[in-house]
Amino acid sequence: MARKLLLDKANVPGITSFEVYRREGGYRSVEKALKMAPAEIVEEVKKSGLRGRGGAGFPTGMKWSFIAKPEGVPRHLVVNADESEPGTFKDRYLMEFIPHLLIEGMVVSSFALGSNVSYIYIRGEYAWIPDILEKAIDEAKANGFLGKNILGTGFDCEIYVQRGAGAYICGEETALIESLEGKRGNPRIKPPFPAIKGLWERPTVVNNVETIAAVVPIINEGGEEYAKIGVGKSTGTKLISACGNINKPGVYEIDMTISVEDFIFSDEYCGGIPNGKKLKACIPGGSSVPILPANLLLTTAKGEKRLMNYESLSDGGFATGSMMGSGGFIVLDEDQCVVKNTMTLARFYHHESCGQCSPCREGTGWMERILKKIDSGKGEMKDIDLLWDIQRKIEGNTICPLGDAAAWPVAAAIRHFRDEFEWHVLNPEKCLTENFGLRHYADPIHVPVTA
Amino acid sequence: MADEIKKEPPANFKVTIDNITIEVTPGTTILNAARTIGGDVTPPAMCYYSKLQGSGGKCRTCLVEVAAGSTADPRPMPKLVASCRTTVMDGMIVKNITSDKVKDARAGVVEFLLLNHPLDCPICDQAGECHLQDLGYEHGKEGTRYEFKRRTFEKEDIGPYIQLHMTRCILCYRCTYVADQLTDKRVHGILDRGEHAEISTYISKAIDNDFSGNMIDVCPVGALTDKTFRFKNRVWFTKPVDAHRDCENPKCCGKTTLWLRGDEVFRVTARKDQWGEVQSYDGKPGWICNTCRFDKKKTTDWVIEGVTKINRHSVISQGKYEGLVMPKETIQEVLGGRSPRLLMDIHTESEVNKPTVHLSEINGPAHSDTFNEGK
Repeated sequence: MARKLLLDKANVPGITSFEVYRREGGYRSVEKALKMAPAEIVEEVKKSGLRGRGGAGFPTGMKWSFIAKPEGVPRHLVVNADESEPGTFKDRYLMEFIPHLLIEGMVVSSFALGSNVSYIYIRGEYAWIPDILEKAIDEAKANGFLGKNILGTGFDCEIYVQRGAGAYICGEETALIESLEGKRGNPRIKPPFPAIKGLWERPTVVNNVETIAAVVPIINEGGEEYAKIGVGKSTGTKLISACGNINKPGVYEIDMTISVEDFIFSDEYCGGIPNGKKLKACIPGGSSVPILPANLLLTTAKGEKRLMNYESLSDGGFATGSMMGSGGFIVLDEDQCVVKNTMTLARFYHHESCGQCSPCREGTGWMERILKKIDSGKGEMKDIDLLWDIQRKIEGNTICPLGDAAAWPVAAAIRHFRDEFEWHVLNPEKCLTENFGLRHYADPIHVPVTA
Repeated sequence: MADEIKKEPPANFKVTIDNITIEVTPGTTILNAARTIGGDVTPPAMCYYSKLQGSGGKCRTCLVEVAAGSTADPRPMPKLVASCRTTVMDGMIVKNITSDKVKDARAGVVEFLLLNHPLDCPICDQAGECHLQDLGYEHGKEGTRYEFKRRTFEKEDIGPYIQLHMTRCILCYRCTYVADQLTDKRVHGILDRGEHAEISTYISKAIDNDFSGNMIDVCPVGALTDKTFRFKNRVWFTKPVDAHRDCENPKCCGKTTLWLRGDEVFRVTARKDQWGEVQSYDGKPGWICNTCRFDKKKTTDWVIEGVTKINRHSVISQGKYEGLVMPKETIQEVLGGRSPRLLMDIHTESEVNKPTVHLSEINGPAHSDTFNEGK
């Protein structure tokens, strides 16, 4: 059983209330952190090797050290709770069941960054969670862990919960800031980065819910202790929200040392695939990351066992690897159609494109229509090449990463499942009633022996 | 804009664009640096408008490759960057038309921009002065690979002077910046998102503001057109002349271009510079008020300064060449005063063409009967 740092107390009855949370050792990190200098906290986080849990995996300590500190200008911490990536629901679990962990992490992080007013930007669809968070905020305030003069140290911090209106794009940090300012949620053109000019043109740090929650164990145990968990640059624990064709979907906390195979098939985690079906493919980090066929998912192209961590999942680049992403682990069994799956994702990105820059605005809709055409048995061979060309022209040419996020799943599906696309084109009638099935996607990969 | 840069203090950032090195002041964007060079080196810009703050970065036609970031940090930038929003660094090396990546991406962007565009140029008032047309000719492919229905919108009425034809819009956001920065009360913006995003006033409210007409000038396509000019004439049949009047509105510059046919003023617009943007006077953009634009439609209202200079590549300049000079015939000079000698008279060699038949004297075009003496 791997160590749990975030969810170990999640099942204690009444943990959402301050009393129980405090009794279980909550808010210790605030007491400890407020005796430290802000720079020391940043240093601890740097030592911990904590990487952003929102998807990009950027080192959090480094992000914090980038924040500009001009004289007389307030700084802000914004927590990105606009968790809208299909397949990702870890932050929801965290906020719903242990809201005080987030508030605790925010107080510590706000102190480290010098933010006296911090925000939680939460997606509109999580309609019931703001009440939970606001109750936690009120309780923390009543007990002196939030508000004016926290624990008599003279540090003031207010936390506000702001609800979004249900747009995926508002999870992009600059679009989130725009939306928080009350504007249309269009991503800003970078530079300037939020660390220099963010919310109301003030230095801002935007972090994922899980990242901020992870600050609590880092302060409690020390950065170096935290860094001992996990392997290499994947330190600490990571929440994985597993879904799809598995026996036990849910949110799991892993320490990034287990293999993907163990994660899917062990009883401790996903518990295997229901009805004795075989594993066909998996999207290991939320809908934006490249899909992998079973053989490349379980072993890398070099023939090594793939582990559930940042480095191993991205081993081989996009050619034979994928990404850790936000930890939305979607499993597809042999009955799933990759073409339909890709079409569903393309429809999502088409629907969620903000329409600001042309490649994403026009390209996402185009890709969806072509995929729909192939899926409905009207596709032609040239459509597959066209799809490849469209995704290539979107990727990297847009203002924000949504363009890339829309292009990657399509690219990966064609890269690894081209014969399934071709089968759809060649069997226009059959593809409506039958499934391509597993075929060779789980066959062992030939690894050339080096001399 | 090019003029404005020259007026600034001595430049001190060296930047190389397509192997041409120039010096510009710090804070200049790559696009504006390229504009000081001019010609093909300048990336096209559909959404950037130097006179509108915050514009640019959206259309992605001006993407360029930065092969070296600066002298201090010569690493190349990993992605293509929007030249209109990226400032130059000392020693930066930029590749525009010399980069295959840029050409490929630009062709892609043009295809994307034209994907949902109706291509109704034959009935569009913007035709002839449309930036999207120019962009399509210069950087686009000959056909589209899009085979689905294009998105369309209902035509919307946004007041007595301006017609909004959203189907043609490429969402450059320029008009919303005009509304933000020129007019005192913004009543229009973007509704919806993605492909279906549209410029609109909330529930078809009329736009009523003294400077709202400038939206027409900044629109790169035919989405916003002048209702007083709609379907009246094609721009290339009209003759543009520079004119001015003492406008009572202090914010209006009063300097305009009149688009005439005979003595009739068909249309009044602000004066445009070589980049298709409103001309600046003393560093201030020459926006004009709606009175000048829509109400002063008599030549007597104006003091005409002379014919507007139009780029000779523009269709508007057709048939309006000023000072047409025929190239000099140099053959006699080359031959030392002799006339060229006929080496072979085809009529003496062959009887096929009937030298007795003078083609210039027959009625109508020649056909086989013209040469058929048998009949």
